[in-house]
Amino acid sequence: MNISGESLGTFLARQTVQAATPLVMAGLGELVAELTGVINIGIEGLMLMGCIAGYAAAGISGSGQMGLAAAILTAMGTAAIFAGVTIWAAADQIVAGAAVNILAVGASGLAWFFYQTTRQAAHQSVSLGPQVGFQSVALPWLSRVPFFGPVLFDQYMLFYAAVILALLVWLLVHHTRTGAILRALGDAPEACQAAGISVRTWRTAAVLFAGACAGAAGAYLSIMRTHAFASDMTGGQGFVVLSLVIFGRWTIPGLVAGCLLFGGINSLQQTLQTTRYTSHSTFMHALQHIPFEFFQMLPYVVALLALATLSRSSPGPRYLGQAWKQ
Amino acid sequence: MDSSVPPPVLNSPPSKARRYGAQRGVKVFLLWLSVALGAVALSVLLVLAILALAGYPALGILHRWIIGAAGNRFNCAASVADACPLLLTGLAAGVAFRSGVLNIGAQGQFLLGALAGVALTTRFILPGPPWLVMAVAIAAASVAGGLWAVLASVLERYRGVPIVLSTILLNFVALYLVRAALHGPLQAADTSAPQSPQLKVIYWLPILIRNTDFHLGIPLAFAVALALALVLGRTNFGFELLITGLNPRVANLVGVPVARRQLAIMFLSGCCAGLGGAVQVLGVTHFMLGNFGNYGYTGIAVALLGRLNPIGIAVAAVFFGMLDTGSRFVEESSLALPHQMANVVKGVIILAMLVASAWMMRRSRSPVPETSENPTSRDPQQVES
Repeated sequence: MNISGESLGTFLARQTVQAATPLVMAGLGELVAELTGVINIGIEGLMLMGCIAGYAAAGISGSGQMGLAAAILTAMGTAAIFAGVTIWAAADQIVAGAAVNILAVGASGLAWFFYQTTRQAAHQSVSLGPQVGFQSVALPWLSRVPFFGPVLFDQYMLFYAAVILALLVWLLVHHTRTGAILRALGDAPEACQAAGISVRTWRTAAVLFAGACAGAAGAYLSIMRTHAFASDMTGGQGFVVLSLVIFGRWTIPGLVAGCLLFGGINSLQQTLQTTRYTSHSTFMHALQHIPFEFFQMLPYVVALLALATLSRSSPGPRYLGQAWKQ
Repeated sequence: MDSSVPPPVLNSPPSKARRYGAQRGVKVFLLWLSVALGAVALSVLLVLAILALAGYPALGILHRWIIGAAGNRFNCAASVADACPLLLTGLAAGVAFRSGVLNIGAQGQFLLGALAGVALTTRFILPGPPWLVMAVAIAAASVAGGLWAVLASVLERYRGVPIVLSTILLNFVALYLVRAALHGPLQAADTSAPQSPQLKVIYWLPILIRNTDFHLGIPLAFAVALALALVLGRTNFGFELLITGLNPRVANLVGVPVARRQLAIMFLSGCCAGLGGAVQVLGVTHFMLGNFGNYGYTGIAVALLGRLNPIGIAVAAVFFGMLDTGSRFVEESSLALPHQMANVVKGVIILAMLVASAWMMRRSRSPVPETSENPTSRDPQQVES
């Protein structure tokens, strides 16, 4: 980790934004799905499918864009299975989500194996070439602004996409008729039904959107922020997304704040882990005596404490987790 | 919709048991059995078709898979040994889901149980004969898992944190607690990895069938399943647990101490998972790594496949154990396919079962729309007093 070129504050802020980006991306999709009344704990699996599909497609085609498209499509396909089971067959969403997670571990493991063996058989490199994965995109002018430049205007493409998407979803949910329908689907599906709105079709669309978002977030992990795949590379981030949506009380500002908080604590703990042995400050030396696992634990503890102390002003979509039977 | 009705928190209990498939009767059972076998056949066929398309000998793989799962005495024992932790985490999920409590936290409870087990047999060995040390370790592991689950219950009761959420977060807290302990006080002297020393051989659970993996923990786990089947199905206490989950208001009206029973459900659930962790350490691995499997999450699937019935869960766990053992055999054979393919089979089975059971339920019940089951809050403040 090279932090010589920039101040620690800039470095931390940049890392925070990078860690928060996939969480925001996947969280926006999950938020929309939950507003319509569908909770998908399989989002971890969808992200994992995005990771492997993005990596393998980028490796085979030699193009990062192809990887991103494949990641989005694969995760949408997996989300379509989930939608079919939970919305059209009206099965339990929690168990179906758990099944999607198990399925994704298996499918990504098999796909990774096939990818490796076929590449090796063709005497091609398993890892991505330097030009294949995405690099960060520095916006002209803006990226030279001190602090804000490197933090906000020299990021990966998906960061800008996430910012735009967050604004769009916010506008959609709060200022359009579509948004009113989306929220009604979770709060009063019978009213939607009475108004001639197909609950199942709309919910399916929301779940597919969530799948696309999770796939893009997965691709961010495997072909943008790092150019690598590992068998459990999401490492529970999907579950974190799930809790951040509820943590943010199903609001977009709340979700983004939660993601930044989580990403901030996470990059702080990573930086502490790597710099505390080399730093000369007494504060860093004092931290050496704390096992680094406690820093890794910190985001989850903070999320729990925040949930336990915040008021329950918004209990969330009324029919969250319930199947709609026509 | 009447605004005085409190909104449901993530679920509505009245339909819960039915949604998770708690139905009775021989006819239903037979139908279920055929559906389960169909789902198994479908998922195995699917995976084999994928492998055949990728150019692998599908029949050869199936043959090796079956040999590996149950081809001889040793493989059979290995399958049951693989089933053991899944049975206990499955029971953990089953006990809770049956009562409408969404305990997703068997993973964390399992890990803490394993940690307690390894702590009491490596670093903090009580004076006494080995059998007593092991008994204390296993009991402490169950209590550790149970208390970790109760923590989620307390958070819901007093701070309104939904259990489905707190248990997920607590899984990660438990994971890093375990890693901190394995990097700190419980670390083996000869390694820098988060890893405990190996248990002394006298603290290994005895092998009951010579030259196999069949250890004492396996009959113990099946005994727990049997005991739970009796307690949940045949006693007043079990019935109270059931109606507490199905409809806390009704339970309260008929005089069930709802708050205490909700704690009991979580404690019992966590105990099963914690026991599973200890049995896995003392019976199979004999030491603990920072990365100790995904038994907790798989347990949810096992519980569903077993229809939340302890005996059914035992059958489902043995089947999953066979899938795992068989797929490892395939991985170690000349084909060297990754063992993760067992997970594809598991995932497809569960999804197929979900669809089939939803279809069965729709057939077997009167056509009452879901919304007529008025959403009742599981908010404990509502049912107290």
